[in-house]
Amino acid sequence: MLCQFCHTFFSGFKEIPEEEKSRMVGNVFSNVASNYDLMNDLMSAGLHRLWKDRLVSKLNPFPGMKHLDVAGGTGDVAFRILETLNSVKSRATQDSLDDNLHEETQIFVCDINPKMLNVGQKRALERGLGEDKSLIWVEGDAEALNYKDNSMDGYTIAFGIRNVTHIEKVLAEAYRVLKRGGRFLCLELSHVEVPVFKELYDYYSFSIIPAVGEVVAGDRDSYQYLVESIRRFPSQETFASMIAAAGFQKVEYENLVGGVVAIHSGLKI
Amino acid sequence: MVRASLMLLKDAGRGFCNSLSQMLVCPLSKQPLRYSEETNSLISDAIGVSFPIKDGIPCLVPMDGKIIEADDMPKTDDAADLSSKNNQ
Repeated sequence: MLCQFCHTFFSGFKEIPEEEKSRMVGNVFSNVASNYDLMNDLMSAGLHRLWKDRLVSKLNPFPGMKHLDVAGGTGDVAFRILETLNSVKSRATQDSLDDNLHEETQIFVCDINPKMLNVGQKRALERGLGEDKSLIWVEGDAEALNYKDNSMDGYTIAFGIRNVTHIEKVLAEAYRVLKRGGRFLCLELSHVEVPVFKELYDYYSFSIIPAVGEVVAGDRDSYQYLVESIRRFPSQETFASMIAAAGFQKVEYENLVGGVVAIHSGLKI
Repeated sequence: MVRASLMLLKDAGRGFCNSLSQMLVCPLSKQPLRYSEETNSLISDAIGVSFPIKDGIPCLVPMDGKIIEADDMPKTDDAADLSSKNNQ
């Protein structure tokens, strides 16, 4: 169980002090980086792609926007934002004002783990986005961001916030860097309360996932960590109140697949 | 806006263009960064710390920061300075 107030948490039955958490998480993601996307496809039967599509459609990207995607390592969300903007651009009449706006678009992909960023850069090349000047890769810490106050139109964090040590600091930094009118969007694995489905989901999580991790990635422990970290994360309601406590207005959440994932959003007024 | 200033130079050693320097700041002081071509790093003059750029990726995690004054001091003091800074 997580003790949110004393910031200690439990991996299985072992208690881990918070200064250990970021080191452990670092190891987990360095180990999983090369298999990250394959494992996501396997574990979610490809559904993670739809969830990310939904996140980006809620974001409503616009040309010229400054966007920060945190814990965005392998680039999934950033690529979707760019592709949304590029498809709008190719359908619209060519106009020099629009061209200038598109050139002003900046999408910062921020991740604390350089291995994840390197995978992202390679994937960008494969997707034909390697030369896109709007995509900017930066190694940074969600709890101590390297961006100016009031500089971002949008902030997304997909499947990253459950791995941080201090959720409140991440939310405070998100609030700080967003412009007034800017939107915070978080996609994260969440809690299922639907009867029967909950039991099936628990079985899937604790019996199937770590076994698949062992077979596919040769790493049972990292995927054991994954399923435990999901259970430790605050409930949808608790997380929503934390977002509001950071200063965000109009805080809402949408459950997908009965709460397997949730998209929380907030607005900086 | 002048087109040239919008060109984003991502490769290591090709410079830190204006539009990026307007967006990136020091993660500790939140003050502007200055690109140092000779060390290929970003300098936070406000607190005298430099952050490396590896494979064209700026490393702006607080722990990546290296105190600049340490370069002028004997090697044994570097670790002590950095750890005392990080413990603050």
